[in-house]
Amino acid sequence: MSATAAIRPIRGVDDLRLVGRQIRYEQISFWLNPISAIFTIGFSVVFMILLEASAGSSRSSNLANLKLIQYYAGGFIAYGVMSTCFNQLAISLVVRREMGLLKRLRLSPLPTWALFAAILGNAVIITAIQVVALLLIGRIGYHVVLPHNWAAFVVALVVGVVAFTAIGIAMSTVIPNQEAAGPLVSIVFFILLFLSGLWYPIAAKSGLAQIASVFPVRHMILAMLAPFDPRKSGWAGNDLLIMAIWGVGALLVASRRWAWAPRAAQGSGLTRRRLGLFR
Amino acid sequence: MSTVSVEHLSKSYGATTAVEDVSFVVESGEVFALLGPNGAGKTTTIEILEGFRSRDRGDVKVLGFDPGDRLRARELRERMGVVLQELAVEPFLSVRQALARNAGYYPNPRSVDEVLQLIGLEQKASAKVKSLSGGQQRRLDLGLGIVGNPELMFLDEPTTGFDPSARRGAWDLVRSLTRGGTTVILTTHYMDEAEALADRVAVINAGTIVAEGTPESLGGRDVGEASIRFVLPTGVAVSDMPVALTSVHGELGEIRTDREIEVLAALTTWALEGGHELRSLTVERSTLEDVYLRLTGYQAASATEAVVT
Repeated sequence: MSATAAIRPIRGVDDLRLVGRQIRYEQISFWLNPISAIFTIGFSVVFMILLEASAGSSRSSNLANLKLIQYYAGGFIAYGVMSTCFNQLAISLVVRREMGLLKRLRLSPLPTWALFAAILGNAVIITAIQVVALLLIGRIGYHVVLPHNWAAFVVALVVGVVAFTAIGIAMSTVIPNQEAAGPLVSIVFFILLFLSGLWYPIAAKSGLAQIASVFPVRHMILAMLAPFDPRKSGWAGNDLLIMAIWGVGALLVASRRWAWAPRAAQGSGLTRRRLGLFR
Repeated sequence: MSTVSVEHLSKSYGATTAVEDVSFVVESGEVFALLGPNGAGKTTTIEILEGFRSRDRGDVKVLGFDPGDRLRARELRERMGVVLQELAVEPFLSVRQALARNAGYYPNPRSVDEVLQLIGLEQKASAKVKSLSGGQQRRLDLGLGIVGNPELMFLDEPTTGFDPSARRGAWDLVRSLTRGGTTVILTTHYMDEAEALADRVAVINAGTIVAEGTPESLGGRDVGEASIRFVLPTGVAVSDMPVALTSVHGELGEIRTDREIEVLAALTTWALEGGHELRSLTVERSTLEDVYLRLTGYQAASATEAVVT
């Protein structure tokens, strides 16, 4: 009995406090790093302002004559989620790994699950701030009609944050070094955004849409758009399902490839420092 | 019970053997140094003890835990501290924030102010980590290693890149930790560091321990032959000296012997009676560095020494 009582991997309230504290330091690191804060929050706001302004009162024939301002509201909320959870997270994890910060955390008593809970919590906070900012700007500046189905809106956000956090973590594990992180992530991200029609809506039956439908980015945009389209129920079950599948796949990749130690310095197998995440 | 015990530890990476049949014991309160050239297996060994790396074979116990046991890893890490070779501190946190954050991971941490004082960064408490100099960052790194009030510290080449005064400061810090009862395992390739800090030294080369003992007795340096050196007196042929010289380096003569009292007596009597000068006369046993170089297989280029027969 004493042997099992001594093993306490999880410690109730103390551990909740631990995660809370870790979220606070993740937040400090995020906001005090001007580049990550500006690129993540600033871009979604600036892009939305520019495109909402250019949309005027026009409607998109590719979206059955939905007002473009409604499309961009949903689209840039989706962009905000993805830039936080995929772009920002993947790059910052590579930087932390290559600087040796992850190794140091691994050697501290902070449990692995608590670190990832804090990373997710951090993403939720940054996303929430962006969503509120984008909704306010859209409503006040461009008379966007707010979502008619808030339940569907929140569910789409939650599925999106969790799935893209998993995808961001997986992405970080395939990037070899710090120098490659920014360019690689941005290229993948912006090509997919373009394919998925974020800047200008693409027809649902087009070849481009068929290709984009394989990837989760278009589904995130469509899932966030649905609550802004007054002619629809607001739920986008298929899109959420495909994102969820991508999220699970990403977790599998991440758990196989996750590394705590810097990878760039390792030329030979001798210095290879890899440990499975869930081992 | 020993703080750390390692028996027949082996680890390979593919076809490359990093550590082969390594055994040693570290007692509570001891400073134990693993000394060896780069790639000898120091870091692999220490990372296995930290639980960062898995092992292929052997029994390892650290503070009573098997470091490979994932379920108990958190308990082990609450009682150990680590200072890594690489700098690893979040650049955008302040010094105080970085220390406070890590203190929060441990059940019984030192106070942040105490650590700031120990590492001499009180004046920099609110400075951003990225604004610190290299040496100050290393000191912060050391501070992060001790903030959890560990029973066991791992120091992986803790003073590489330090200037001489920063090294003395780090040594003083390690000594103050050991006075408080902390057990320390350190890796280094500086002989003077091992000599200054370690109670016991193990020399590791190509994955195996080739010698172990106190820094004073390592490799038989307390009982081996001594080296007597002096400037050759002018006007005396080498062959006219009372004792045969082992070698001559320029104007400096050397006699290697394990009977140094007799040799010195003969030499000094001859000098006094004949009125010869023996300038710069020294008697030395091999330095730790000599022993280390011999143990790790370093061959001096023989052309630099003119051997006298």
